[in-house]
Amino acid sequence: MNEILRLSVRQLTQAIRARELSVTEVVTSYLDRVKEADSQIRAFLSIDPESLLQEAGKLEARIAEGEQAITPLTGIPVAIKDNMATKGIRTTCGSRILENYLPPFDATVIARLKEKGALILGKTNCDEFAMGSSTENSAYFPTRNPWDTERVPGGSSGGSAAGVAAWEAPLALGSDTGGSIRQPAAFCGVVGLKPTYGRVSRYGLVAFGSSLDQIGPLARTVEDAALLLEAIAGPDPADSTCSERLPDAYSASIGKDISGLRIGVPTGWFGAGLDPRIERKIRFALTTLEALGCTIEEIQLPHTEYAIATYYIVAPAEASSNLARYDGVKFGYRAPGELDLETMYKETRSQGFGEEVKRRIMIGTYVLSSGYYDAYYLKAGKMRALLANDYRAAFEKVDLIVGPTTPSLPFKLGEKTEDPLQMYLSDVYTVTANLAGIPAISLPCGFTEERLPVGLQIQAPHFQETKLLQVGHALEKELAIEHPQLPL
Amino acid sequence: MAVDVTQVEKTADLAKLRFTPGELQRFTVTFQEILAYFAQLQAVSTEGVEPMYHALLQESPQTPMREDEVKPSLGPDASLANAPRTAEQQFVVPRVVE
Repeated sequence: MNEILRLSVRQLTQAIRARELSVTEVVTSYLDRVKEADSQIRAFLSIDPESLLQEAGKLEARIAEGEQAITPLTGIPVAIKDNMATKGIRTTCGSRILENYLPPFDATVIARLKEKGALILGKTNCDEFAMGSSTENSAYFPTRNPWDTERVPGGSSGGSAAGVAAWEAPLALGSDTGGSIRQPAAFCGVVGLKPTYGRVSRYGLVAFGSSLDQIGPLARTVEDAALLLEAIAGPDPADSTCSERLPDAYSASIGKDISGLRIGVPTGWFGAGLDPRIERKIRFALTTLEALGCTIEEIQLPHTEYAIATYYIVAPAEASSNLARYDGVKFGYRAPGELDLETMYKETRSQGFGEEVKRRIMIGTYVLSSGYYDAYYLKAGKMRALLANDYRAAFEKVDLIVGPTTPSLPFKLGEKTEDPLQMYLSDVYTVTANLAGIPAISLPCGFTEERLPVGLQIQAPHFQETKLLQVGHALEKELAIEHPQLPL
Repeated sequence: MAVDVTQVEKTADLAKLRFTPGELQRFTVTFQEILAYFAQLQAVSTEGVEPMYHALLQESPQTPMREDEVKPSLGPDASLANAPRTAEQQFVVPRVVE
């Protein structure tokens, strides 16, 4: 494998600054790798090598003329999940209804990356409108897990996670509404972080669950993820739900001593539903944290058992509202023929949306409709408050919460597609963070005998991403997981 | 609360979705399973609990406001660029007025 691919983001930008490497060399290395691996992995929906090389050349010229300062992301190609607006680059959200949609604007996170001299490598595959846990709901094709191409990469940010894991991109952006960054990160053996709700602007992120969605980084190391988070986080007047708090210096805090931190382990998270191979790795990581000077204690998050039901009422409800805009009028697919308005709406949407999207719109519409609103949506809102309270109480006793990211190892393609409820249950450890709005990270904590990755999740109080990154980095360094040789 | 095909049809109508009879039957079955799963929430007491819809409500209870100044916006060409049917700088829709 090309040695350039093995360099960290910090090493890449240092080499670019010292003129040891050109931006074109970096970009070419990644494009070559995409060419080599992506016909099997299928992480990308849209990638334009010629355009990218032109951008690289222009960037080099700007750097040479002193017009572009070298930031920690300058010259770095970043893969972007296809539910974020990239001006002039097709943005499909993994759906046929947006097959030819060309956004006339950049999402705030994209504009920030470009300002810093990062390059948009391409758009990655995802479950349609970010609804799914395996990327099998993409209207185009499934993405494969680089560790075993018969298995799913997870979802909905499966393309971003697989792309980073297969060395096709040094960094990627994903989005997380119920676990869609963390779960694919766990399944693909990479780092994935969901920021606090409101930490990163959602302007230009195609809305799924507006009170739950967050954009976040995927990377091969915690430090790389911190560098990407730093580049995109912060206030944005274009998103009224984006916090006005300034972000912390995430990458600068990495490496600080973590001894004395109190780690809470939720008892209810280690029951019968958890694969023992995952449990073993998590328990070992916990003893490692103890060796690093942390204290471990059991905590309770009593309403966790209701989290999936709560989430699968709230998220589809919000989705049913957010997806009402896909009506064939202002953008996207429109059913052909001279149809009356009602028929045009129904045909456009029924032909343009896939099955899971329709299912969630239906659930959402039902739980919001007159006569059912109180029993479902209002009830779920109250459950959400109880869950947020569980976390508040827990964080009075501990600084961080640690547990598994997923109850199972990456499953085979087709294994869970017949039973939607089974698929929903794989989100059991991740949805709680979205419901409470707290930040959470998944990082690899080992590989099983079958050479499948296991993800460990750390959760922190609101706006304490720094603690996640500090502990994540310390654990990563101490565990020093040796990744097996990739099949490709 | 069980749900039958008529209710599913009504919901589809509200959501502006159309299902074939076969799809409707299959969908109703899945829907029933999912709603049955939601029923467990009824067992939890939420007496006196205020619903939570926004994670940062405590921190920013008011929607942030700005001065009412005109700022740059997309403009007609960019706004119409992805529309399936346009005419004279307008989105064309099926006739809605008799």
